[in-house]
Amino acid sequence: MPDLPFLGTFSMNTFFQLFVSGLATGSIYALAAIGFTLLWQASQTINFAQGEFIMLPAFFVLAGTQFLGLSFPVAMAIALVLSVLLLGLGFKRVIIDPLLPHGVLPIVIATIALGILAKESVKQFYTAEAQPFPALFSDRTLNILGAAISVQDIAVLLIALGAVALLQLFLNGTKIGRCMQATAQNPQVAEILGVPVRRMILFTFLINAALAFLASVLISPIYLAKFSNGETLGLIAFIAAIVGGFNQIRGALAGGLLIGVVDNLAAAYISASYRSAVPLILLIIIILVRPQGLLGKAEGRTV
Amino acid sequence: MNPVLSVRNVSKSFGGLRAVDDVSFDVHQAEILGLIGPNGSGKSTLFNCVLGQLPASAGTVLVDGKDVAGKRPCDLNKLGVGRTFQMLQVFPEMTVLDNIILAGQEHKGTMLSRLFGKPDAGLTEEALRMIDFFRLGHQTHEKAGSLSYGQQKLLDAAMAFMAGPKLVMLDEPAGGVNLTMLADLKERLRAFNQERGATFVVIEHNMEFVMSLCTRIIVLANGRIIAEGDPETVRNDPTVIEAYLGG
Repeated sequence: MPDLPFLGTFSMNTFFQLFVSGLATGSIYALAAIGFTLLWQASQTINFAQGEFIMLPAFFVLAGTQFLGLSFPVAMAIALVLSVLLLGLGFKRVIIDPLLPHGVLPIVIATIALGILAKESVKQFYTAEAQPFPALFSDRTLNILGAAISVQDIAVLLIALGAVALLQLFLNGTKIGRCMQATAQNPQVAEILGVPVRRMILFTFLINAALAFLASVLISPIYLAKFSNGETLGLIAFIAAIVGGFNQIRGALAGGLLIGVVDNLAAAYISASYRSAVPLILLIIIILVRPQGLLGKAEGRTV
Repeated sequence: MNPVLSVRNVSKSFGGLRAVDDVSFDVHQAEILGLIGPNGSGKSTLFNCVLGQLPASAGTVLVDGKDVAGKRPCDLNKLGVGRTFQMLQVFPEMTVLDNIILAGQEHKGTMLSRLFGKPDAGLTEEALRMIDFFRLGHQTHEKAGSLSYGQQKLLDAAMAFMAGPKLVMLDEPAGGVNLTMLADLKERLRAFNQERGATFVVIEHNMEFVMSLCTRIIVLANGRIIAEGDPETVRNDPTVIEAYLGG
């Protein structure tokens, strides 16, 4: 093994291990980042409560099992429905619809407020302590090419990527998905062609809520469920969306994975205490070098 | 037989300004009607009243004998009124083929049929024919946003025709299109008109284009019809010359 003075002893196995677990958390960031881009494309909404949208569903599940005595699978199902209703339908109807005609800024402020409300409510009415969240997968590790890779990481990665693949299939391979794309690209014409534009936008919000639920139940077993989780998650997802290119699902996916991996490697090899600076540094580099994002295209049109 | 489009005593006021003042005309099957007039003559307002984008202050608009008052643009689309846009209006991130399919499909059905029905709604063949007709064949699978301006105009027209409309309203089709492409566009529109008996109403500033494309021309000035007839008659009408030059 090469002995790099500032990295300590470098082991390929450890590197691979860190890389895979980075991909796993990165794929969860990607789910949240994709939600950002979907809402942006469909209705020019930047949801600054996105982090809290990922924090909340885990507490819906916990409330179901702890207060209502529901079994875990039932609580999960109810939490999914609740997430879609509250964070999708409710969010759209109560906050976005009335504010959208007034431009982007009121929505930004309203979603920041919504984030604070969600965070403080959980702290006040539930608990300020981090809550353990049942692991969805066994905590065994598999030996792959000499590296110990946890089953959980692989399962998280597969589920998150599977969800993204399904979403892509839905958007490209169904009539309704194509109508959603048309709505995002040119709502006026879509409307004239008879596409039910408002419903398509609503679907986007429902999908975002479902993605947030999925991200929540995947990440909470790793980081525990805590009222303040949304702060980091929201920021990282936002950065991932920008890094990848705000107007592209593929970009958000790439951005999420990249941040997950870079973050994990930097924490191990450079400094754990500066780890939260890593996404920000990445953001600054991308904005300087490639402001449209890794895969994004510059908005605006050349004529 | 009913006229395809019948505009009867339509007026539209904005506050004290009468942008369209008691205008009546009919458009018959297989006609290409040009609607011209100096800037501010009320062409676009009239166009928007017909298309349901502005409610008329008075008068009626009949499509195929049916009153379309209060219909939304998408209802008019279903009734067989297609349109193209002055500013380019395509779905830039979709392929040429997908743009045309989207324009042709009927947006109804159950959630299940929307999820599991063929995403192309069985329209691929017809869409490919339309693409060939408008000579965009070599760009079938390219993103619409990557096409040149003139080609996007052709695509816009192809989209308007895809749903098999009774009437197509063309809003400044020649605007910003280079001369070669313009000849192409004109030739294709005329071919469509002759081969399929399609009916058009064209708003246009480019006189040469209108005169050589249309079978009949209506001239608007200050919201009123000041002249009507075949291109030659209109071209030589002193009131028209005065409206354009005398201002």
